[in-house]
Amino acid sequence: MTQDRKDYVESTTPPAGYDPLREQCLDFHVAEDLAAMAGSDDKNFILTTVDNLFDWARLSSVWPVTFGLACCAIEMMAASATRYDIDRFGAGAFRATPRQADLMIVSGTVTAKMATRLKRIYDQMPEPKWVVAMGSCAIGGGPYFKYGYHVVKGVDFIVPVDVYIPGCPPRPEVLLDGLMRLQDKIRGRRGAAKLPKWVADYARKIPYVNR
Amino acid sequence: MEATAIHALLQSRFGDAVLDYVDSYEKGSLVAAGRVGEIATFLRDDATLGFESLMSLTGLDWDGYDATGKGKSVDILGYDELGRPETSDRVGDGDLGVAYALYSPRHGHKHTLFVRVPRAAPEVASVAAVWPTAEWHEREAWDLVGIRFAGHPDLRRILLDDAWEGHPLRKDYAMPGAWQGVPLDGRDYAAGKWTEADVTLPDDVKRPEDAKLPDTGNQG
Amino acid sequence: MSETATGRGWAEQDVRRELHSELLEINMGPQHPATHGVLRLLVRTDGEIVHGVTAHIGYLHRCAEKIAEGCDWRQWMVYTDRFDYLAPINMNFGYAVAVERMLGVQVPERAEHIRVICAELQRIASHLIAIGTFGLDMGAWTPLLYCFREREEILNILERLTGGRMLYNYFDIGGLRFDAYEGFERDVLDFVNIMEQKIPEYDTLLSYNKIFIERTADVGVIDVATCRAYGCTGPVLRGAGVPFDCRKDDPYSIYDRFEFDIPYGEGEQGTVGDCWDRYMVRMREMYESCRIIRQAVDALPGGPVKAEDLKKLVKVPQGSLYTRTESSKGEIGYHIFADGGSKPFRTKVRSPSFSNLHVIEKVGPGMMLSDLVATVGSLDIVLGEIDR
Repeated sequence: MTQDRKDYVESTTPPAGYDPLREQCLDFHVAEDLAAMAGSDDKNFILTTVDNLFDWARLSSVWPVTFGLACCAIEMMAASATRYDIDRFGAGAFRATPRQADLMIVSGTVTAKMATRLKRIYDQMPEPKWVVAMGSCAIGGGPYFKYGYHVVKGVDFIVPVDVYIPGCPPRPEVLLDGLMRLQDKIRGRRGAAKLPKWVADYARKIPYVNR
Repeated sequence: MEATAIHALLQSRFGDAVLDYVDSYEKGSLVAAGRVGEIATFLRDDATLGFESLMSLTGLDWDGYDATGKGKSVDILGYDELGRPETSDRVGDGDLGVAYALYSPRHGHKHTLFVRVPRAAPEVASVAAVWPTAEWHEREAWDLVGIRFAGHPDLRRILLDDAWEGHPLRKDYAMPGAWQGVPLDGRDYAAGKWTEADVTLPDDVKRPEDAKLPDTGNQG
Repeated sequence: MSETATGRGWAEQDVRRELHSELLEINMGPQHPATHGVLRLLVRTDGEIVHGVTAHIGYLHRCAEKIAEGCDWRQWMVYTDRFDYLAPINMNFGYAVAVERMLGVQVPERAEHIRVICAELQRIASHLIAIGTFGLDMGAWTPLLYCFREREEILNILERLTGGRMLYNYFDIGGLRFDAYEGFERDVLDFVNIMEQKIPEYDTLLSYNKIFIERTADVGVIDVATCRAYGCTGPVLRGAGVPFDCRKDDPYSIYDRFEFDIPYGEGEQGTVGDCWDRYMVRMREMYESCRIIRQAVDALPGGPVKAEDLKKLVKVPQGSLYTRTESSKGEIGYHIFADGGSKPFRTKVRSPSFSNLHVIEKVGPGMMLSDLVATVGSLDIVLGEIDR
C-alpha cells in the first residue's frame, strides 16, 4: 500500500509546461487560440479556428434527447432538477424529439424489444451525435448478465458509445462528470480524464474483457 | 370463512372437479383445469364467499416433480462468464401449473386455487371473463410459462415480442444467443471473437472470491 | 351547428354528426415524454377523441423472476430494489416480509421500527415524484423542481443510513443489514418538521390551481367496480372512494400499532375517482406518513437489528405463500413457491402498476387525447415493476 501511495504522489507531479490556470479555465481556450492563431502563419487558420469555435459551441450546448429507460432515468431527472442543475453545463434542454438532440443518454437497461427502437432513435438524431452509456446495465448488462434472456449485454452492441458512466445507478455528480468528459472529447482531447497511476493500474487489473 | 369450509363448499358444489385440499403456508384447493372458469364464477358470485378480487395469477413449471409432488428441483440454464448460453441435453418433464390467489374484500378471507396440467397439453380454462384483471396475468403466464388459456379473448404474448421463441420461465429454457439481429449473449458480433485468452487474469490479480475483504461488520 | 348546412366548404361538412373521419392509429411511446418510461400506448383516435387504447408493455422486461430461480433467497433482495425504482424500500419490505413469514422468523423490534420509518420516508419520496411528474404532464414544470428539493432531503437521510443514494438493498431477511447511524432519529424528525410545512406549499402551487383543477377534475373517472374487476389498488382504489390499505386491512410488520388515517377520494372538485382525487390521496398520504414516522421514532427501541437464529444461507421449507404489502403504488404481492432448497422455486411478483395500467384500456376509450395523458399520469405507473 505504501508503494502505491508513492506512485500516486509521483504521478501527480505536473508535466513540463503544465499551466494550472489554463487547465482550469477550459472554456476560454477559444479566445486564446484565436489570438495565437492570428499571430501565426498557419495556412489552416480559418478552418481550424472555425472548427474550434463550432466545437466550443457544441460542447456548451449538448442537448440530450429525453430518453429514460429505467432506474438511471430517475437519477438523470435528479441531475436536471433543483440540486444538481445540469443546465449549468448547457445540457439541460431535454428534447422530446431526437431530431433536435445531440446526445443520447442511455439511462438504463436495454432490452431486446427496446434495442431496435433505440437504434431508430439514434439514427434519427442529426450529426454530430454522441452517446453516453449510463449505469452498469447500459455498459454491460449489469446485474442482469447471468440470466437476462431479454437484456442486451451492453448498449455498445447496438450503437457506438462515447462515454461510459459506471454505477448502479450512477449518482448525478457522476453523470455531470461524464458530461464533462464528453465535453473534453468534443473539444478534441481524448482521455482528458487523468487518473492517478495507482487507480489506472488497478482499473487495468479488473478482470473484465477489454472490448 | 375458514379455508376448510370454503373447500368443503366447493366440493359439495362441484364434486370431483375439486381434487384436493392444499395445506401449505396458504390454504387452498387443487381443482381440475377444465372447470376453473365455472368454479371461479361461483367463487365470485356466491354471497358467502364473495371473492371479487383476484390478487395474483401465477404460472408454474413443476419440472423435476411428478404428479404427486415428489421429486427434486432442477437447475436452470444461464449464460457463462463469457456470455455464452449454457446448454443441456435434459428434456423437461413434469406438469405445468397455475395458482390463483383470491381475496374477498367483503368478508376479508383468502383462498388459493391450484391447477396442474400436463406439459404436453397445457390448457386451462380462462377466468378473464370473471376477473378482467386475469386477462393480462394470463397473457403473462402464456408468455413466460407457455400455458394456453381456453376462452381468453386475446391470448398474445405480453412482455416479450410476438415473434419470441420459447417460454423463458420453463426450467429447461436455454438462453438465446440473439433475437432478430439483436445480440443477447456477450459475443461481439462485429469483431467476431471473444476467446478465453481475453479473460485470463494477470498473474498478480486474485479472483474476487480469493481476495480477502476487510471485515466491516456489515457483511451477511 | 345545424345539420342542414351543406356544400359551403369542408369546414361545415366536417362537423356533421353522422360523418366520421377515418380512425387514426397513433403510437404513443415507447419513447415519449408523457408515458413515464418505456410504455407504448397504441391509440386509435378520431381527431382528438380516443376510440381505443392498447397498452404494449415489456420494453423493460429484465427477467427478474428467472433470476430469482438462479440466486439464493438473500441475493434476490437486490433485484426487488429495481422493480419500483422510485420506492425500492417498499419493494424490499414486501419480499422480506414474505420470506420471513414462510420462515417464521421474528424480526427484532428495533429493526421493525427502522423499517417502518424507512418505508414511510420512501413513500413520501415516491409520492413527491408522482406529484411532480403529474404536474409535468399537465404542463407545470415548476412543482417538479420543488418536489425534487424535498426528495433530495429524504435521499440524504437514506444515503447516510444505507450507503446507497437511490437503490438501497438495506433490508435483509430477518432484519436489516446494519444498524442506524447515530443521530438518525434527529435527522428524520428534522425532515418531518420541514415536510409538514412544505405540503401546504404544494397545495397553493398545484392542488388548488384553477388550470390544474380544470385539467384533472372529472377526468379519467375510475369507479369502484372497475377497480375491483381490474385489480387496481393503492391511490387508484382509494381515489375511487374505498379506504382500503394493506397496512390497515391486512396488517404486516408493526403497522397495527400506529395511529393513522386512510385518505380516500370524495369528489371534492368533481366526480369521485377522477384524476384530482387520485392526486389528492397521494398528497394527504404524505401527511399520514409523517404521522407514522413521528410515532415510530418516538417508540424506537434499542437492541439488535438482525434475527440471530438465522443462517447465512437461508433455506425455506417447501410450500407456497402469497404475501402482500402496501407500496406507494398499491398492493405489491409476492407469490413465493419454495422447494426446501436455498433458491426460490418460483417467485411471482404481482406489481400494483401492472394492474393499475391495465385499467387504461377500459377507461381510455371516449376521452380526449390530452385527458389520456392526464389519466396515465394520475395512475403513477413505474415500468420497472410492470415489466419486471
